[in-house]
Parts: sequence; C-alpha cells; structure tokens
Amino acid sequence: MSRGDLDLEERYRRALRLLPGYYRDAWEEDMVAAFLDSWLTGDPDEDSVTMEFDRPSRPELASVIGLAARLYLGGAGTPRRYFAWGQAVRGAVLAVMLAHALWGLSEFELLARSRHLIGWLPPPPAVGGIWPTVWYLVGYAWLMAFLALVLGHYRIARLMAVLAILADLAAVLQAQLAGILASPFASWTYWLLIDLVPVLAMAAFHRDAPPAARRAWLLALPASYLLVSVPVLAAEATGHSAWVPDTAGLCCLVLAVVCLAHAPRAWSSRAGTGVWSLTLVLLAALAGAWRLTSLALYLQDPHLIYYLQGPHLVDVGLAELLILAVAAALVVPDAVRAPAVMPSPSAYPQLG
Amino acid sequence: MTGQAFFVLTALADGPRHGYGIVGEVTELSQGRVKLKIGSLYGVLDRLSAEGLIEPDREEAHDGRLRRYYRLTREGRRALAEEAELRAATARVVRARLGLPGAEAAG
Repeated sequence: MSRGDLDLEERYRRALRLLPGYYRDAWEEDMVAAFLDSWLTGDPDEDSVTMEFDRPSRPELASVIGLAARLYLGGAGTPRRYFAWGQAVRGAVLAVMLAHALWGLSEFELLARSRHLIGWLPPPPAVGGIWPTVWYLVGYAWLMAFLALVLGHYRIARLMAVLAILADLAAVLQAQLAGILASPFASWTYWLLIDLVPVLAMAAFHRDAPPAARRAWLLALPASYLLVSVPVLAAEATGHSAWVPDTAGLCCLVLAVVCLAHAPRAWSSRAGTGVWSLTLVLLAALAGAWRLTSLALYLQDPHLIYYLQGPHLVDVGLAELLILAVAAALVVPDAVRAPAVMPSPSAYPQLG
Repeated sequence: MTGQAFFVLTALADGPRHGYGIVGEVTELSQGRVKLKIGSLYGVLDRLSAEGLIEPDREEAHDGRLRRYYRLTREGRRALAEEAELRAATARVVRARLGLPGAEAAG
C-alpha cells in the first residue's frame, strides 16, 4: 500500500470519526471500502493519483454528518444513551418551538387589537414600515413550525422555522447597518441561542425518531397561552406592566416553576423521569445563557433600563437567573442518571 | 418503508451485493432518480439489518480491503414483496383515477 493510498483512506477514516464508537466498530471498514470503491477505477496510475490528491466530497461529508446527527440524537434501534439524548433534545426543541408559537399567537393578538377587534384592550402603539407585517408573518411561521413538528411533518416544520429565523436575521442586520442596535452582542447571541441552535437541533427529528405525544403538545399551546400569556396581557392592560418580567426573565421563571413541579418525580427514582430532567436542564442552560447575555443590553443602554422597569432591572435579572439555577439544580442528578437508566426505546415510544 | 429502503431491498432481490454495488444498482433501478450517498446507504443498511430484513452474506478481499456482501433474509423478501404489491395497488388506483391505460385492473 503506497503512501498515497493511506492518504485518501485516512481522510475518510477521519471523517468517520464523527460517528459514535459503537457504530464505527460495526460499519467503519465496510464504509471505507465503499467510499474507496466509488473512486477507484482499477488503473494503478490513475488510482495512485486519486488516492494521493482527492478528498471526500462535500455531499459525502454532509451524508456522514447527517448520519452522525441521527445516531447521536438517536431514535429506535440506537443504544439507550444516545436515545436518551435524542429524546431530551427533541423535548427541548419542542419546548422552544412552543415558546416561539406563543409569541406567534401574541402577534395575532396584537393584530386583533390594532384593528379594534378586542374592544376591552387598548390598541398597541402604532408602528410604521414593513416590520409589523413581517413580525405577523414570522409569528405565523413559528406557529406553523410548532404544529408541523408535533404532527410529524418535519420538512414543513424546518422550512417554516428557517423562514422565521431568516426574517429575524434580516431585522438584526438591518438594525446593525442602520446603527440602531443597542447591543450587537445581545442581539446576535439571541439569534444564535434562541433562533439558530433550536433550528439546527431539529435534526433530532429524523425518520427513526419516535413521534411526539400529539395530544399533550397540542394541548400545551392553549394551556401555555392561558397560564402565561393571558396573565401577562392582563397585567399590561391594567397598568401593571412594571410587574411583568421581560421575555428572558419570564422564560427563566416559567422554567423554574416547571423544574420545581418536576423535582418530586425526579427525586422519587421513578423510571422514565430522567429524560424530562435532561430536557429541563438543556432548557435551563439555554434560558440562563439568554438571560445573562440579554443583561448586556441593559448594561449598555441605561435609558432602556429606566424606560422598561427602573434601575433595578439588572438586579432583577440576576435574581431570575439565581432562581432558575437553584430550581434546575434540583433535577440535575436525575438528568445525569438519565442516559444510563433510560428504558429501552421500544418501551418509550412517545415524548410527552 | 422509505423509498431508499425499498430500492436497497430491490437491489438485493436477485443476489448478494456489497455496499458500493448496492449504490450502483439503486441508481440503475431508479433510472438515476435515486443516488444514494454512502452515509445514507449505511444508515439504511443498519436499520434493515436491525429489522432482520437483510444479513451479511460473505466477505471478499478486493485491492487489500474486505468487501462485505449483503443478502435478503426470508423476512426481507416477504417485506419487499408486500411493499411491491402495495405500491402496485396504489399505482393502479392512481392510474384509474387519471383514466390512464392499464387502469382496468384497479378495484
């Protein structure tokens, strides 16, 4: 075997390191042989050049990355560790999409108020330009993305979510170019954490993934609207908006309440709670990172602090972060155990 | 059964094939419409193997590397026949609805 022969083979083996060890043990040699078969012609001179200078193509690498995502965020037939991570990521993505869908519903509500369809609520402040229409469409896209994900139409869900985050990206870029972005760090971090990361994590919804528990997640949408959005709306309508946390703070507090509600089950050592604990820890990390980075916005723009809630906003934000950290810490031990004690995939068909 | 799995099983229907041989056969069977990437192929092979529809047949040395051949199991042959019948029945219904030739067998 020439030195060149090792080169292309090693390049493929390096790419295959993206796959989990158990899978490489079973399939690596066969995959490498198939990859090389796709290049080699049987002509020693031509093959020697190929082996020395050619590289795995981008579509080939993309197919390996796709396979790695399906295996690490496992579905049916994968080891329980990867299945646990897959279920936890799928749960976290559904929860983030639910939050986006709630925001979508609030856009409908703003539209109804602006057209005086909800008589007992004051119309929102009039905003000119194209952006109100864009936000209405983005809200609609998030709502469709959530519903499509729950109903198992993963391609539609991805398409809707990508359209929504591209609109957000356009808004951030436009604001930055116009020089009106108060904190580029906070805005870009929001886009990365809350928009891009969940959309990338939608890779966990592949053909081997068990379907979501439709009824539970579909009910979660109106229930969340009634329990979270309506009280916020009522507080704002009655002139108590100073008591309403900003969106990052609200997510931290809601998540803390869910962690506290889940903690007794997590500590009861009941089988099957670990995935939800892992999901909550993932969500807490995301919400905590958002809370922390969004405080940069307030620190960089003191006028915004007074405009929103007064000078204690940063202190309130840190308190929200602390509450979330304490609540999430209660479920961390159960989350850590989850990948090891996860019931087998066949005994855990649905998420919810 | 996904389209890729259907074509992979069909590629193995007339005898064992190795990984890249399956890719070529699927391209030919589908008249170029389905071009399996190696990563996708082994995702399908892994799943079909776990479901007991295919199994390793033999290994042969080729240019210093081992090629593993796969074959249909009895269960795989039965699943492929059922899927082919289902697809044919669906096609007959569609042709009947569209009023195309060969629709008389429908219903």
